[in-house]
Amino acid sequence: MRDRRVRAPWLFVAPLVLLMAVGFVWPLLQVLVNSLHPNTPQGIDAARWTLDNYARLADPFYGEILVRTLRISVIVTAITALLAYPVALFVSRLSPRAQSLFVLAYISPWLVNTVVKALGWTLLLRTNGVVNTILRGIDVIASPLKLMINETGVIIALVPGHFMFVLLPLWVALSALDPALSWAAGTLGARPSAVFWRVLLPMTLPAFIAGLVINFVMNMTVFAIPMLLGGARNMVASMLAYQVNLVSLDWPLGGALAVALLAFTLTVVWVGQRGAVFVVAGRGARP
Amino acid sequence: MILIVNILMLIVVLAPVVIVMWMSFTPTATFVLPVTDFSLRWYREALSYPGFLDAFRLSLELATLAAVITVALSFLAAYGLARYRPTGGAALKAFFTAPLLVSAVVFGIAMLQFVNRIGLYNQLSGLVLAHIVLVVPFAMRSLEVTLRTVPEELEWAAMILGRSRLGMLLRITLPLCARGLVTAFLFCFLLSFSEVTTTIFMTGPGLQTLPVRIYSYMSDRIDPTVAAVSALVVMVSLVLVAVLNLLGGLRRLTTQ
Repeated sequence: MRDRRVRAPWLFVAPLVLLMAVGFVWPLLQVLVNSLHPNTPQGIDAARWTLDNYARLADPFYGEILVRTLRISVIVTAITALLAYPVALFVSRLSPRAQSLFVLAYISPWLVNTVVKALGWTLLLRTNGVVNTILRGIDVIASPLKLMINETGVIIALVPGHFMFVLLPLWVALSALDPALSWAAGTLGARPSAVFWRVLLPMTLPAFIAGLVINFVMNMTVFAIPMLLGGARNMVASMLAYQVNLVSLDWPLGGALAVALLAFTLTVVWVGQRGAVFVVAGRGARP
Repeated sequence: MILIVNILMLIVVLAPVVIVMWMSFTPTATFVLPVTDFSLRWYREALSYPGFLDAFRLSLELATLAAVITVALSFLAAYGLARYRPTGGAALKAFFTAPLLVSAVVFGIAMLQFVNRIGLYNQLSGLVLAHIVLVVPFAMRSLEVTLRTVPEELEWAAMILGRSRLGMLLRITLPLCARGLVTAFLFCFLLSFSEVTTTIFMTGPGLQTLPVRIYSYMSDRIDPTVAAVSALVVMVSLVLVAVLNLLGGLRRLTTQ
């Protein structure tokens, strides 16, 4: 009987574990192994092992792409940080019914595929697009602004595109707070700004940081938006990965790129989590 | 001030989706403002373009297969973890949510090299496998919450009264979880149906899902036909979101 109790859970869990081992662990190991072999005109030379593919990533051409990717990601995350808090604060103070409506309005576009949203942004931002037509119609500008096929276009589309990853955790954290907290701080003489800086922000900082970390990682690895709104000349990391893996078919180098991207994003997540823990411990606030 | 930020943000978040819907109804071939007339011309055009129809069929098939398999296996796993609480359960839960930590691009590259290695390149089964892995974290989260709402005492009662574990599962637990299972299915279906990045990386021109077909069409030219197809995708997605919301599925995203 005892024996069955020990074995039974594995019968339930095993099918999914097996599937994840084949469909998730194996592909990642495969790409790691491929990245450690040299590429030859005949394909991957599985007999030899090398770290050359990683050394090739240090090329200045790739450095420029990395800097652009980082620049776009940091700008988008910074804008999101400024906008997400006021929105989350506003939504968390509405009636429960209004809250769920607003959250639904923010979530639904996330569940529509990115390519469709990229098409929408193209229609809005291109030279004879909706934004330029309106701005010229009300005489704000004389000649059309160049709003896409540059980094501006990518940033404009990414801010709302990845907004939900910060809004949602922040909204959950804010609605979990006891409303009496702000009220208590107020009766003790704290101004609204002090309530924000000394009560609300410290108590929701872990969720805020967690959301910003996810947002940043998503910005670093997004593909369709920079491809369609940034154009081929403003290449970012994911577009380089596409180029190497599907156009030049250099899989060892493409594999090295994937491993490097994964290592980088995992490090960001890890540091972000540690940062959140550190902040909480330092302030003495409980999560 | 805070209200203005909120309204602006809402407009910006909804704008691309709204504009695609709007433009798909223009009668002219170029999108020029102001749009005054209403026409279904481009929907007829889109529905008679075989490239989009095939891709739509593939997307439906893929999303259905991925969602059914994911929900079935995730339900078993979530049940095993929730009721037996095995040692190492926390590690397993972390394993099942690990795909969230791997970006779609990295997973797409891994899948591309993997399916080529085992000879599944340009095969539906390779795509199904990839999509399952991508939606498992969401299914697990949703089904965990569902199972917590089913009182374990009911299951004990059924077993004390002589049902086997399997009979109890089929007659008691599954019916009580029906709503949660439907929710998880719809959610997985929706995520698979809108998946773009991993799919672009791992398939060639021979096997394009609808979002990938729209993507490659758009890289070539932009006309109202592609807006009409996109608008249809938006409608399908939004209907599913509405049903999900009615079933309380979206709330599960934020349940701890």
